[in-house]
Amino acid sequence: MNTDSSQATSPSDRGLIIRDLRAGVAGNHILKGINLQVEPGRVHALMGPNGSGKSTLAFSLTGHPNYQVESGSVTLDGQDLLALPPDKRAKAGLFLSFQYPAAIPGVKVANFLHAARQAVRPGDLTPGKFRALLMEKLETLDMDPTFLGRYLNDGFSGGEKKRLEMLQLAVLQPKYAVLDETDSGLDVDALRAVGESINALRKTDEGKQTGFLIITHYPRILQHVEPDVVHVMMDGRIVKEGSAELAQRIEREGYDKIREESEQLA
Amino acid sequence: MPSAIAAAVAPANLERTIDSLDATVIDAERRKALLARSFELRSGREKPGRYWKIDLDALDYDRLSTTGTATAPKITAPQARGLVACDLATAAREHGDLLARAFGIAVRAHDNKFAALATALCNAGAFIYVPADVAVDEPIEIAYDARGALFPYTIVFAEHGASVSVIERISGQNDAFVCGVSEIATGESAAVTYAAEQQLPSDGQAIFTRAAKPGKDSNVVWCVADMGARLTVGSIDVIVEYSGIDAQINSLFFPRDDQHVDVVSTVQHNVGESQSQTIVKSAATGRGQARYLGNIRIAPHAQGTESSLRDDALLLSTRAHIDSVPALEIGANDVKAYHGATVGALDDEQIFYMTSRGIAPADAEKMIALGFFEPVIGRFPTNALRERLRAALEAKVS
Repeated sequence: MNTDSSQATSPSDRGLIIRDLRAGVAGNHILKGINLQVEPGRVHALMGPNGSGKSTLAFSLTGHPNYQVESGSVTLDGQDLLALPPDKRAKAGLFLSFQYPAAIPGVKVANFLHAARQAVRPGDLTPGKFRALLMEKLETLDMDPTFLGRYLNDGFSGGEKKRLEMLQLAVLQPKYAVLDETDSGLDVDALRAVGESINALRKTDEGKQTGFLIITHYPRILQHVEPDVVHVMMDGRIVKEGSAELAQRIEREGYDKIREESEQLA
Repeated sequence: MPSAIAAAVAPANLERTIDSLDATVIDAERRKALLARSFELRSGREKPGRYWKIDLDALDYDRLSTTGTATAPKITAPQARGLVACDLATAAREHGDLLARAFGIAVRAHDNKFAALATALCNAGAFIYVPADVAVDEPIEIAYDARGALFPYTIVFAEHGASVSVIERISGQNDAFVCGVSEIATGESAAVTYAAEQQLPSDGQAIFTRAAKPGKDSNVVWCVADMGARLTVGSIDVIVEYSGIDAQINSLFFPRDDQHVDVVSTVQHNVGESQSQTIVKSAATGRGQARYLGNIRIAPHAQGTESSLRDDALLLSTRAHIDSVPALEIGANDVKAYHGATVGALDDEQIFYMTSRGIAPADAEKMIALGFFEPVIGRFPTNALRERLRAALEAKVS
């Protein structure tokens, strides 16, 4: 007997599975049927020109109140994400690295990280062990411990904000991480640091299991983090998929060539 | 004049309060004159908004009980050479000359409705005197516990090169009415921090006039937290008459339910080459009502003044209301003066950011609201006081 399978996870359910997702913001239809499957332990790159709907996808996945899902489904290891509010999606194992993280004066980084870790993994660490985990991750990411005493993103440089997003990723250890334009606005050194931090996380026991969806406009972060799969998004649809080589092609030729090909196919 | 007040100033009652005070700084005649003056003067505070229910010029004094309510504060002070830290009656008896020197330097009771009332009916108080070049290394705590009507008068006088931190705690029993004065005066190169923590029960009333007149090259810091009482009326002033002064006014308040808070701060720069910083953080929830008026006045010849005013108000319910008005009058041309004010609800992007990390929306709102006060809480002395303030704020957002 296997009649109630709603909570069960069969091997085929594994992954962050997006099916025919249509969504928009302020009455504009932006996502026009996205199909995409992020697998555990794999790095997926989602590339596309500005305005193709990449950030709309990121916010629709995490449940930003301004974004409306019109139809389609998103499941995380079999669990219906779209039925959940943002905090429950995080508890289910989803993480979004924000392109523009909010500054929250008065809330210290350490307290925030502790509250978030407690929320997604209640009671799994004593305060002492949590502190040890924080210190370990700071070292992995080559970050200064003074970060912990600062107010969340308050007065942070662009690079510092992205580093803090990576620290949160490391501390929360989600099953699936969506990195929205984590490379934007970074200089070469900061970009390398972010790339290295992702690679460092992928070497940890938990990080090996994490499925990544790296959303980017430029291929340059992919010089630091090698993707297993590249998806190309245009005008609210995935128009092409391929290996890391596809990213190199976009670097050489830009998006126009791919646009022409996809239009011919359509 | 309301009958309860008239009874309070009757000679028999005055003698029961602080008779020794009359011999040194204020006698019965002057009390009577100030009382009459208090009822002549207007508060100068118009009703801030249509939800504001209380007319400060028509407070109901008749229900006040003023007999047998005089209570000397509990004062805790560290040992320091020549330090005087005692209740006002003792000060009048044992340190009359010092008290007479310090009394009324910063607060002009004759010109202020509530300072006149508080001085006329003064039935409790404390006197802190720090001799020259003495640094009092731990804060002095003055705790008032109000029963019925309390009119506390607290004076801090720091001589040349002296430094001291004072924490005034105001608590009380149900229906307590507290109308008080705090004043600070210093010699040259002194440093005084005065923190006030008002946590009256929710049906209490608190009216405070606070003013400081620092000497040349001195630092003066006001930290005022108004948490309790159904009505809080505060004025917090610094009068800058010398150069080299560094003055701070920090204020936080948070009306909830039907609480009303009306705070006016004023930094009066009469002489240049001094600086002041005013930081006010307020929130309101339920039907909480607040008005803040922040004055910075720079006199025409006060060149080289540097003055800033930062005032942020957070509205946590649609029925709460905060009126926030920065008012800068700048008469000199070679000055730096900044002001910034915000009034708004919690930021949706901040809430979304926190919830996206798994934090429940109610917890996120609480953390953001508490965080909002941190920049000003961080300026209050002692970890114990900061923790008490955080606990009081947390109770309000829960």
